[in-house]
Amino acid sequence: MSDEELMAQVRSGVGELLGVLFERYHLALFNFYYKLTCERALSEDLVQEVFFRILKYRHSYKPETPFRAWMYQIARNARVDHLRKRRPETSWEPEMSPAITPDDPAQQKQETALLHQALMELTEDKREVLVLSRFQDLKYEDIAQMMGCEVNTVKVRVHRALQDLREIFRGLESGKLVRKAGQRRTGSWTGPGTLQ
Amino acid sequence: MTDDEMTDQEMKCEKAIELLPDYLQGSLDDVRMKQMEAHVAQCAQCGDEAALWHKLGSMPEVQPSPMLRSRFESMLETYQEGRWEKANLTSERNKFQDLSHLLNWVRRPSMSAAWAAVLVVAAFLGGKYMDRGGSQSPDEVKKIHQELTDMRQLVVLSMLQQQSASERLQAVSYSRNWNAPQTAPDPKVLSALMHTLQYDQSVDVRLAALDALTRYGSRTDVRKGLIDALEGQQSPLVQVALIDALVDMHDPGAVQQLKKLQENPKLDPSVRKRADWGVTQLS
Repeated sequence: MSDEELMAQVRSGVGELLGVLFERYHLALFNFYYKLTCERALSEDLVQEVFFRILKYRHSYKPETPFRAWMYQIARNARVDHLRKRRPETSWEPEMSPAITPDDPAQQKQETALLHQALMELTEDKREVLVLSRFQDLKYEDIAQMMGCEVNTVKVRVHRALQDLREIFRGLESGKLVRKAGQRRTGSWTGPGTLQ
Repeated sequence: MTDDEMTDQEMKCEKAIELLPDYLQGSLDDVRMKQMEAHVAQCAQCGDEAALWHKLGSMPEVQPSPMLRSRFESMLETYQEGRWEKANLTSERNKFQDLSHLLNWVRRPSMSAAWAAVLVVAAFLGGKYMDRGGSQSPDEVKKIHQELTDMRQLVVLSMLQQQSASERLQAVSYSRNWNAPQTAPDPKVLSALMHTLQYDQSVDVRLAALDALTRYGSRTDVRKGLIDALEGQQSPLVQVALIDALVDMHDPGAVQQLKKLQENPKLDPSVRKRADWGVTQLS
């Protein structure tokens, strides 16, 4: 059964089918949040919040429209609401940065940690567009629709995000990038549709 | 490399940059795909970006805890039992979260001693209840309720002394569940939370304590405690959260302390910015 058929059933009151959607997407959603925030407990809370909102707002789902895009829209909103509570313009380092273990013998593990740290150094909007397009398998068209902007804008953002990531990653790899509190490029969340 | 060759390279790159995002998602036609492959192979910058894209794809998936599934299942169960529509949605949701926090908490090995104590007291109180054949007066029910409340507070207070920051965190979050905002908070718990806010070594625990305390922002003593706490804080994170909390409480008494904070030359720039904002909001 397709996601859309399942959601249509959930919408008409067959709640248990939400369990199938949970099986399909909880891991992807958890990783979406984890890559954005680097916080496990928070990511789990937000996944729970997404499924809660899917049930609560089930009537707002328009049958036959793409379920995934609708779900990620809810996921983004849940995160925006969370960020609002957190007063976004403040930088939350260094407590939030993932730990790096330079002596780790496993090269792969170290690279993953570096990549994750580099992701966290990106501005909020660039990190999000990269996570959505790279990890969530969403097409640029879907992302554009979600963010309320042109497809080309999304593509430009992906490119710029990669440019920045490249620079940050190189710096981290060579250990030249010395970060100090308050100098981190956390950027501020400007809300959906207004990101540039 | 000659100037002409450089210009040629830049032109190619300009076009390639346009196509790069589609190339990465594999949505170009065959001809362009091949052109891009050739470009990426010889252009350092585009090549790096493509390599980074592939590296990102090889980042392993992180697994959530089993708690995520059980929380979801409890929520679905509530929905299916039809309790959903009747219940206050927000409080239902909080209940799931509280339940999972409680489960996490009691599962901790170091909790077993405290938990055993709770069971002993509960058994004792239960025995008292049974002895009277369930015919006690409202006063007695009230008394038993009070004893239970005291016992819970005892657990919270002792948990706040634990070594592990995550257990102290659980204690703070548990104190919130027992003390509904509309009821008068227990003075012992309040002062323990205040102490935690000022002296706990973990930033997370201090933040949680602040969060628990802000629920009592209508009390003058709590507001005064928060203003005092601002003075000794070293963590920019807690300083900012404290300023936010005081602004939310609209307490002009905080202005003096904020000004004092501004005078500190070593103050973190983001805290300074927030303090400036706080002063304008409150004066």
